[in-house]
Amino acid sequence: MFGYIRPCKPQMKICDYETYKAVYCGLCKELSRFGFISRFTLSYDFAFLALLHLSVNDGKTNISRQRCMAHMLKKSYCMEHCEELTYAAAMMCISIYHKLSDDKSDEKFAKKIAALGLCGAIKGAYRKAAAMYPETAEKISEYMKLQAEIESEKCTSIDRAAEPSGLITAAILSGIPSCDENTTRILERMGYLLGRYVYITDALDDAEEDYKNKNYNPFLLQENCENCNMDEIRRIASDSVNFTLGELANAYVLLDTKRMKPILDNIIYKGLPVTFNGVVSGEKIKKTIKKQEFERI
Amino acid sequence: MSDPYKILGVKPDANDNEIREAYRKLAAKYHPDVQGQGPLSDIAKTKMSELNEAFDRIMDIRRGSGIPTEEYTQQCHGGNQLFAEIRRQIQLGNLSVADSMLEKIETDRDAEWSFLKGSVCYARGWLNDAYHYFSNATKLNPENSEYRAAFSRMQASKNGNMNGNPDNPYRENPSICGGCSPCDLCTDLICADCCCECLGGDLIPCC
Repeated sequence: MFGYIRPCKPQMKICDYETYKAVYCGLCKELSRFGFISRFTLSYDFAFLALLHLSVNDGKTNISRQRCMAHMLKKSYCMEHCEELTYAAAMMCISIYHKLSDDKSDEKFAKKIAALGLCGAIKGAYRKAAAMYPETAEKISEYMKLQAEIESEKCTSIDRAAEPSGLITAAILSGIPSCDENTTRILERMGYLLGRYVYITDALDDAEEDYKNKNYNPFLLQENCENCNMDEIRRIASDSVNFTLGELANAYVLLDTKRMKPILDNIIYKGLPVTFNGVVSGEKIKKTIKKQEFERI
Repeated sequence: MSDPYKILGVKPDANDNEIREAYRKLAAKYHPDVQGQGPLSDIAKTKMSELNEAFDRIMDIRRGSGIPTEEYTQQCHGGNQLFAEIRRQIQLGNLSVADSMLEKIETDRDAEWSFLKGSVCYARGWLNDAYHYFSNATKLNPENSEYRAAFSRMQASKNGNMNGNPDNPYRENPSICGGCSPCDLCTDLICADCCCECLGGDLIPCC
């Protein structure tokens, strides 16, 4: 369920895009501090977390030109080690660990074996991250259990099915260190709604596959959706996501952003709806973003 | 209180129109009609009153006297004692208390019940259910402006409206912002022609 919180690149200013890339790159470097080398899971979602964190703090950060493992030949801009990147990287290790533990119980043999192998590799990183932010790590484990419970009881309510995902993201955003009380409350609400958005988008994305494999998916339990009627499922999902994004925007306008505002605006007002529309149309996300933009021009 | 110009996000040498414009934009974001009764409504209210205060102060400084601004006043709610208590619990953020009180009412689930149930769901972030209950409340009592406001706020979200969006989809829709279609152009010309003919002239000679 990673990668649904991303910017809408064609609509970004180049300076904003460079900054975004520097944060993304810095996050990747920061991950290696947790002894976690594999880069492939690096996702947009946690770059957003780092950006949000950076925007509510106004501490000093540096961007420098560095080489990285993926692009040995050219130097690229990279944000240097800072508190915000550490927090995002730690949360990423915790989330990936839980996702892999979840995959271990997957029925597919290949996926199971892959998850088992990786899970061992990331366990050390998880321990380190959980030791740094024990409260948040604790909350996340608790909500993962809630998620499993809701799935096993085959909950028919979309609101309730999306709740654990919302609570996890709420815990991550409200766990951002050294914020005043109101900021924490705004971040908590934003987190809940973002998690809800991710869950609904992911459930829509997986609906057809879940129908084939007879897995749990709240959309398949809705009225008129029992036979995987995708038109109806898309309609319900669109409404749910639109409610969520409307509320997210209401919380976001209350947040005092000290920097990074154009990038956050881009992700919230453009990236999220465009990514969701991509999932609705069933195409690869990258392709839809490009297509929509060309149509507009 | 901090710098009123900073709150409005304008430079101290901005002219009155710029200040009004900045006020209008921010007020549209924080206004209770937009924000509703969510868990962050108190922050929105504080921001709104800070904004009002900052705007008043700037105007005071510039004019030497205050000008009246739109003030938000809490509506008075009628209804029975139990509902009033549930309302209070929701405002305090005790959602599970409020919800169990609502669930105990089995008969007499009227418009107010639906509205309060919707408010609990809304604060929890259970937005699909909230929409359902708000819509129910409006159906049961279409006269109530509070129910209608909650419902139409969610309808705006449903149509893809996002608070503070720099390019709001609404602005692209000509039927809402009052654009001029080719049809309008023809009817307007015919109207103008009729008016001219009444006064003895003629705009379009062929009709």
